[in-house]
Amino acid sequence: MPEAIDIQLKKGALELCVLALLSQHDSYAYEIASQLSDSIGMGEGTIYPLMRRLQMDRLVETYLVESPAGPSRKYYRLTTAGKASFTSQKSAWSSFSGAVETILGGAK
Amino acid sequence: MTRQAFMARLMEGLRGLPPMAQADIIADYNNHFNEGAAAGRSEADVAAALGDPSRLARELRAEAGWKRWEMERSASAGASAVFAVLGLGAIDILILLPILMGVGSAIFGVGVAVLAVFFAGGVVFAAGPFMGLPGGPTATMLAGVGLMAGAASGGAVLAIVTTGLVNALVWYGRLHYRLLTPALEPQVHGAL
Repeated sequence: MPEAIDIQLKKGALELCVLALLSQHDSYAYEIASQLSDSIGMGEGTIYPLMRRLQMDRLVETYLVESPAGPSRKYYRLTTAGKASFTSQKSAWSSFSGAVETILGGAK
Repeated sequence: MTRQAFMARLMEGLRGLPPMAQADIIADYNNHFNEGAAAGRSEADVAAALGDPSRLARELRAEAGWKRWEMERSASAGASAVFAVLGLGAIDILILLPILMGVGSAIFGVGVAVLAVFFAGGVVFAAGPFMGLPGGPTATMLAGVGLMAGAASGGAVLAIVTTGLVNALVWYGRLHYRLLTPALEPQVHGAL
């Protein structure tokens, strides 16, 4: 069983990671889920409650794209508010993680 | 777990949500299984990676409950938001329940008192002038109106306080749920 701190760190970072992925390019939930669960080890199912919340908070919006294999996919893109939220969360994260990094480096 | 079992438990957990929202969510997870199958993954593999469907349903319901409370400040929306927060287990119900019951009955008591004063004011206004109270009929009627106005403003303050309390609870639950729980559950399941 993973340490509680590990889980807390991942959870705190999930929303930021989703916003970061979407700031690079529009994407659909399955792609977001598989990228995030590969790299940070999240349960894939948790992406859907998160996407619905981001959508309700109007940080993302959706549009349908015909997929080559089967039914159309629901793509998510950042709204203006979403981009602003990403920028501010990113700088908050950078200054926080930078500060922790400095302290961890000093504690060797 | 098979795809069918996963979807059945998810649907079971989503009961009570607006049909549109249910259909949206079901479509999302069905798509996920389709995409998984297209990528060559087995149903059991996809279901395991998704996590516990009942848990996911509770999170989705909580989101919907909060949203409804934000949109319409009604008693039933407030109650369902509070229960959604409790259902998440974001707040320990054993600690919170006595407090909630205390606060809830205090609000109820003040509400009853406000109603009583309002009606008393009405009685004083209507019947007072014929009862020959000191100060004469005009003063009595004014006193009645004053009581009713006081009760109305008391009721307004009570509504504001109640709204604030539900907001605070929802905010607290949402904060904790955002930081901790969704990651915790699937991770623990995955690791077992």
